[in-house]
Amino acid sequence: MSRLPREQWVSALSAVPEQSLARLAESFPRSWKVTPKALPQSGLGMLKLRETTLGDAFYLGEFPLATCWLRVTTEQGESAEGCALVMDDRVERAERMALCDAVLAAQLPGWEKVAALIEEGIELRAQRSRERKAILARTRVDFSLLDDVGDEDA
Amino acid sequence: MAYVAIKGGGQAIEGSKAVLEYLRTRQGARARPLQADTIENQLRLLHGRVLSEGGVYHPRLASLAIKQAQGDSLEASFILRAYRSTVPRLAETELLDSRKMRITRRISSAFKDIPGGQMLGATTDYHLRLMRMELLNESPEQFRAISGEWFKNLNVDEIPDTFPKVLEQLRKDGLLAPLDEQRGQQSPFDITREPLIFPVSRSAALATMARGEQGSLLAIAYSNMRGYGDVHPTVAELRVGYLPVLLPHPITGQPMEVGEVELTECEVVAMYEADGEGGKPLFTLGYGACFGHNEVKAISMAILDRSLQNGIQHGPRNPSEDPEFVLLHVDGIESMGFCTHYKMPHYVTFQSDMDRLRATQAKQ
Repeated sequence: MSRLPREQWVSALSAVPEQSLARLAESFPRSWKVTPKALPQSGLGMLKLRETTLGDAFYLGEFPLATCWLRVTTEQGESAEGCALVMDDRVERAERMALCDAVLAAQLPGWEKVAALIEEGIELRAQRSRERKAILARTRVDFSLLDDVGDEDA
Repeated sequence: MAYVAIKGGGQAIEGSKAVLEYLRTRQGARARPLQADTIENQLRLLHGRVLSEGGVYHPRLASLAIKQAQGDSLEASFILRAYRSTVPRLAETELLDSRKMRITRRISSAFKDIPGGQMLGATTDYHLRLMRMELLNESPEQFRAISGEWFKNLNVDEIPDTFPKVLEQLRKDGLLAPLDEQRGQQSPFDITREPLIFPVSRSAALATMARGEQGSLLAIAYSNMRGYGDVHPTVAELRVGYLPVLLPHPITGQPMEVGEVELTECEVVAMYEADGEGGKPLFTLGYGACFGHNEVKAISMAILDRSLQNGIQHGPRNPSEDPEFVLLHVDGIESMGFCTHYKMPHYVTFQSDMDRLRATQAKQ
């Protein structure tokens, strides 16, 4: 099982190369029955933000959104639901993630491969986070040095 | 007088499209077509501008729009906004909180010591505007070496994931009004679904400015800065970073991260005011935010938010305090459309103008 809560699996999978995700999804047996619980769609989501001066809500803008909610049943009759909402306009990407979500949630055969890909995604996300923190670390302003030479130089 | 069918217009239009394509590709045998990733990374700020003015955070299509529009930011934003009108709305996020931003830049001009510290991130603020001639002949090897060496010997362990807001300290000190939790529960105005009919809510104003054209926002905010207004802002905090976008997981119901958007956010502190009910005077505030890294836009929007609040409270005393003036003139796509429509044939109306002028002249 993944060390991440289920709600973060899609985020981790979003970080891995598309080919890795596609390869994993195609590795599951074709004999599994995959049926949609809801129509897979691509469209837009609206981002609602709380502005931080008076606390008003407003719409900042939209973002692409692909959704998939499916049920997968194995040859042995094991069944699980999986879903994915991802900031993307490719439905097939959401379908692959939803399949991974179902496999890992119910520990269907092959769940270890999903967990491993999520681990890869966690590491890639951590790299991105380190890059952003490096930007901050390199540009932190040291005001104490300015104090040493007096306020006039501040 | 009647409309006149013109022969050959279709061919000329097709020819014009072909000329555009020719000019895009005429560079020569060594030329390579622009890749979407290249536009997103090497024209990062232009790309952010199109994301924000197009009103859709779709990095890949924003790059395509820039390529297709050959770098015209208004035209690219128009293409992106046209795209959004063709796809359905599937969901709306819960109220997102910008305190959760994964920061890449954070400064304050109000205090030097802010909780968590100031980090300049990527900025040209302290650059000399001198030509870097070496970029004219930059080799691929030199180009790649810069990012390759970047992470060496950097300790990032002490950098937190998120940072508190500067305004929180001012609020604790009683210099700002407390945040009203109820205000965030009101449904915002959706400018993509409803026309602006004045007076409009603040949420409509913020949404309009968030996808407004940078130059228009700057010009009207600048009029306020120069004297046609009295906001006199101090930037309490300007932050750039990535905001996680959350939607409920359909099975568990818990918030799940579907992606993240780059965001620039600015909070300005303005002149203090009494509340008119005998309370203590408090600083007034303005807010600006937009997709992408665009500080001029976020600051201009924050100034205009404050000036519009002044205008609503006291009556507009200058253009930047008039919601109708500001909000109906900052949309780049609308204003560009009106401007460029003048290039379209006006043969009939102009014929009419000439007829009337001749008739008037004949009477004299």
